[in-house]
Amino acid sequence: MGLLTILKKMKQKEREMRLLMLGLDNAGKTTILKKFNGEDVSTISPTLGFNIKTLEHRGFKLNIWDVGGQKSLRSYWRNYFESTDGLVWVVDSADRLRLEDCRQELSSLLQEEMLAGATLLVFANKQDLPGALSKEAIKEALALDQIKSHHWCIIGCSAVTGENLLAGVDWLLEDIAARIFTTD
Amino acid sequence: MLGYIWQYVYTSFLRYWLKWLVRQVTGKCELQRICSGCKPGVTRTSKAEYSLRSSKSKVLRGAVDADKNKLEPCVDRIMEEKSIKPQKDPLFKENLHTCLLQITGYSSLFVSVEELRKEVFDSENHEHEVMLLKLWDLLMPNVKLESRITKQWGDIGFQGDDPKTDFRGMGMLGLINLVFFSDNYTEEARQVLSHANHPKLGYSYAIVGINLTEMAYSLMKSGALKPHFYNTVQGAPELKDFHQLYCYLAYEFDKFWVAEEPESIMHFNQYREKFHNIVKTHLQEPDVSLTLTVCSKN
Repeated sequence: MGLLTILKKMKQKEREMRLLMLGLDNAGKTTILKKFNGEDVSTISPTLGFNIKTLEHRGFKLNIWDVGGQKSLRSYWRNYFESTDGLVWVVDSADRLRLEDCRQELSSLLQEEMLAGATLLVFANKQDLPGALSKEAIKEALALDQIKSHHWCIIGCSAVTGENLLAGVDWLLEDIAARIFTTD
Repeated sequence: MLGYIWQYVYTSFLRYWLKWLVRQVTGKCELQRICSGCKPGVTRTSKAEYSLRSSKSKVLRGAVDADKNKLEPCVDRIMEEKSIKPQKDPLFKENLHTCLLQITGYSSLFVSVEELRKEVFDSENHEHEVMLLKLWDLLMPNVKLESRITKQWGDIGFQGDDPKTDFRGMGMLGLINLVFFSDNYTEEARQVLSHANHPKLGYSYAIVGINLTEMAYSLMKSGALKPHFYNTVQGAPELKDFHQLYCYLAYEFDKFWVAEEPESIMHFNQYREKFHNIVKTHLQEPDVSLTLTVCSKN
């Protein structure tokens, strides 16, 4: 094995990212994951435990962890925090009743030490639904402007139509890459 | 590569020559040999299905997609095409008819299953609501539901305080399966629920049920359930047969989960996959019958 190959291998290893996708149940985490991966999204059932997908995107190898959001599973979320580069917080923009619940869960996540270095992407999902709140309204409800500890961005999207999923992931990758692969 | 060439040569030429040769020797066509020589069930019906689908004749190929009510004239036309005399082979007609009922029945059952799956659970729909409340009453006969939106739903394994979002991609198919199991195997369903509520080995009863509906649905869609239905239903399978299969999965998955003692619910997908493979292996066996072996009320 030549020096170049070794260097290349190291670089490949470096260009790996670990993304953790969390949010309340029925936010659309699995649908986002499947849609992003080009799979059928019409036969999804609630996630028990987690799904993991590894995919190549813009020269990066992404390991995306999608963990179930129901209340009884949230205590397990911490088992997936380690070495997370990016946190994707998915919000059901039409579920007005649980926005407060959603804000609390997010704010306690952001206090976790193991997630201290992670970039935060908030997906204001289900923008295709008639009753959906705009991303500005979600930003307000989740008090995102108060976040000083993490790089963050909110993007309105629809997992069903696929709208803006790419834009969100691209922003996340750029932010992470700028942080950790600065020597590239 | 060689395998592909062989397959091409076989299906394009050799198969026909062989069939012609055997026909000259035995005086019977392939379908007749299948219908009289093979055991009824998946052995016979699968072979008949393959023979019909790969036939050169339009009449034979079209038979597998024929309407349920037009199967008799369809069999007559096949007999005419193949010049099969009912006097010489009196059982042929009925046997082929049964095969065709099973083959076309599978496709139309999938259409019905798909329709139910696409029917979204709707809180405004009185029937849907009645069915959801019936599920509660069947599983929790001694506990009254305090209101329609309540944390109590968690006691039978829904995610939040309103089950409506949990049906998702499985729609009414998921709910109907849950109710069918509780209604026809009430004791078993309650026993499974008690395992699901175990403090250490527990799992979300209803959500796992919906995941198992998804398993049954995808097995149905891929055609993997044909052996089971060909063996257990002497004719066209109906929706209740699909619900019965779900009951088998719900009961067997619970047994499997309890025996495996998983560390936590977070490993669900791993065990689901393992269970899925066990079911698929069973479906390869020629005498497969995925039937719940306790006494049903009906």
